[in-house]
Amino acid sequence: MSGSAPARRSRRTEILENRPVNLDGFVEEWPEVGMVAMDSPYDPTPSVRVEGGVIVEMDGRERADFDFLDQFIADHAIDVTATEKAMALDPVEIAHLLVDPKVSRREVLDVSRGLTPAALLEVVKTMNVVEMMMALQKMRARRTPANQAHSTSARDNPVQVAADAAEGALRGFRELETTLGVVRYAPLVAIALQVGAQAAVPGALTQCALEEATELELGMRGITAYAETISVYGTESVFCDGDDTPWSKTFLASAYASRGIKMRFTSGTGSEVQMGNAEGRSMLYLEIRCILVTRGAGVQGLQNGSISCIGVPGAVPAGIRAVLAENLIASTVGLECASGNDQSFSHSDMRRTARLLPQLLPGTDFICSGYSAVPNYDNMFAGSNLDSEDYDDWNVIQRDLQVDGALRHVGEAEILAARSRAARALQGVFAHLDLPPITDREIEAVTYAHGSKELPLRDVLEDLKGAQSVMDRGITGLDIVRGLDAAGFPDMAESFLGVLRHRVSGDLLHTAAILTPELETLSAVNDANDYAGPGSGYRPTGARWEQMKRLRHVVSARNPEEEVG
Amino acid sequence: MTYVEVDVDAKIDAEVDVDLDPRRDYPLAAHRPDLLRTPTGRRIDEITMSALLAGEIGPEDIRITPATLRLQAQIAEKVGLPQLAQNFRRAAELTSLSDEDVLTIYNTLRPRAATREQLTDIADRLERDHGATLCAELVREAADVYERRGILAG
Repeated sequence: MSGSAPARRSRRTEILENRPVNLDGFVEEWPEVGMVAMDSPYDPTPSVRVEGGVIVEMDGRERADFDFLDQFIADHAIDVTATEKAMALDPVEIAHLLVDPKVSRREVLDVSRGLTPAALLEVVKTMNVVEMMMALQKMRARRTPANQAHSTSARDNPVQVAADAAEGALRGFRELETTLGVVRYAPLVAIALQVGAQAAVPGALTQCALEEATELELGMRGITAYAETISVYGTESVFCDGDDTPWSKTFLASAYASRGIKMRFTSGTGSEVQMGNAEGRSMLYLEIRCILVTRGAGVQGLQNGSISCIGVPGAVPAGIRAVLAENLIASTVGLECASGNDQSFSHSDMRRTARLLPQLLPGTDFICSGYSAVPNYDNMFAGSNLDSEDYDDWNVIQRDLQVDGALRHVGEAEILAARSRAARALQGVFAHLDLPPITDREIEAVTYAHGSKELPLRDVLEDLKGAQSVMDRGITGLDIVRGLDAAGFPDMAESFLGVLRHRVSGDLLHTAAILTPELETLSAVNDANDYAGPGSGYRPTGARWEQMKRLRHVVSARNPEEEVG
Repeated sequence: MTYVEVDVDAKIDAEVDVDLDPRRDYPLAAHRPDLLRTPTGRRIDEITMSALLAGEIGPEDIRITPATLRLQAQIAEKVGLPQLAQNFRRAAELTSLSDEDVLTIYNTLRPRAATREQLTDIADRLERDHGATLCAELVREAADVYERRGILAG
């Protein structure tokens, strides 16, 4: 730190001082309280000892002293038959396996299933961000990258949520997530998201982020299609503060699967510091414990990459490197990774792009685990690193680098048609279900609106009564299907029924599953990442690359006066 | 809602003996619809708009059966994901519990929510009433850990 500012300041300092990046918060490291990204003198040293088929010592701690995370990880996450062999390898050697394209993903998984949390930490500590990106390119579960959007409204306006969901699916998102300002609005907004998701390009899966038990109930009724807000934490005390344990969360995971519903856990660096008890460990060490709890619970995937705590790793040295490392480790232990790039963390456009590239360039299962499909003020997840104003930038970056960020440019006429159709379908479904009416004026407004400020106000009291009645009357996804058909949208009814039908097969329960617009399941089972170096793996080509070449303004090379769209 | 046991389950359970090849048989909806039934015994391709509008399809027709979950467990096992397979097997056991019972057990497993006796009672009932041995094992394990770490109720 420099001393006090001189009386006369240079013009250059003034200019730098006023740059957006200086509105961001930065702090020095304080390892004793866990304010350190991934390199703390207080993190344990890797070790393992197996006796009689049971791990009796892990990372320097005897079994009698295990906290509940240690015990859960030792008994459920680590393969006892593989651990001693894997732990005998040098961390640098394991990092080489990760980076070397000639070593297959499967070979890495055979090693990683035996590694303890401290060992995984030592491995990524030897890697710089480019090496981590190389490794992530190979280790992500699904061959084809995808993306997830937030579709929320500052006024919990269901009409807006439906229109933005339709536009989001049209632009390429395969998962759409909403949440609420007023939680009691949830049933109406979840219905709106589901209806909007079918309006233009079908098959995007939807979720409504709520308290665990409520989220499960909406899922069981078939109003939502997957769940993600199932938080796990890296210390015992914070886990308990979150009112859960690895065992309650494991039971919850099986509950979702028992209803054929896709789900993933959520965790991220910084949550334990933010919740006040990091036990003096680094953020990444604690996050690795969360990743292994997820695997131990038998959950197919994890949303991580700091998520709602991104301000914490974002403020310390190497914090964004640690965020990449947590995505990499989730992939390295075989989980689907919805890799963050959601909650906003910086005022600097340059910095938020730099934070995005490590996931966008190698590709992940969901590059954003929520890209805000609405303006910042409408984002009820406290803003996102990317939002609806960034669509064109995203599409240009994809085209510049020929990297598939899973989105595409769509012409305005098509977008207007999709938004209007979603709102009209929701109007019909609400009428069918005897819910508060949606007026033609609202439909007209939402078709052309950017955000909730441009929409007519709804009667919130009536909406909340309607929301309650959805729960009281036991309305299910099938009632929405019937409503869509009755309202004159048989194709949307058909595609939503198609989404619900997938519960019967359980295909979507597998790692990194999404539905294609043709309602076919694509997961790590039938679309396994096969990257093996230059010339292999997923590369945007053919029709997809032609789609990516389109932007808002592209001129004809032969006739610069002509826009080719 | 309460899950309705029907005779056809016995027949479907017998079919779990099928030896699946993940590369050939997955996704089951596309490649092995012959193996898939709803809890009411309906084939997956019988879940159609016309059946729904004729009032023939109810919420229990868009639910997964224990037999299907065990088929998916087989696939998870074969692609090298034993924990995922185990989750599917626990899920298979939970299909016969009502939504309400599932939520109650979940809430009982939260920290400081239950005594050892309450957890043991849940485990016993899971095993006795639903044949849910894997879930019972999970609950008993929780009771042990919660006691050791001091997070039982009281």
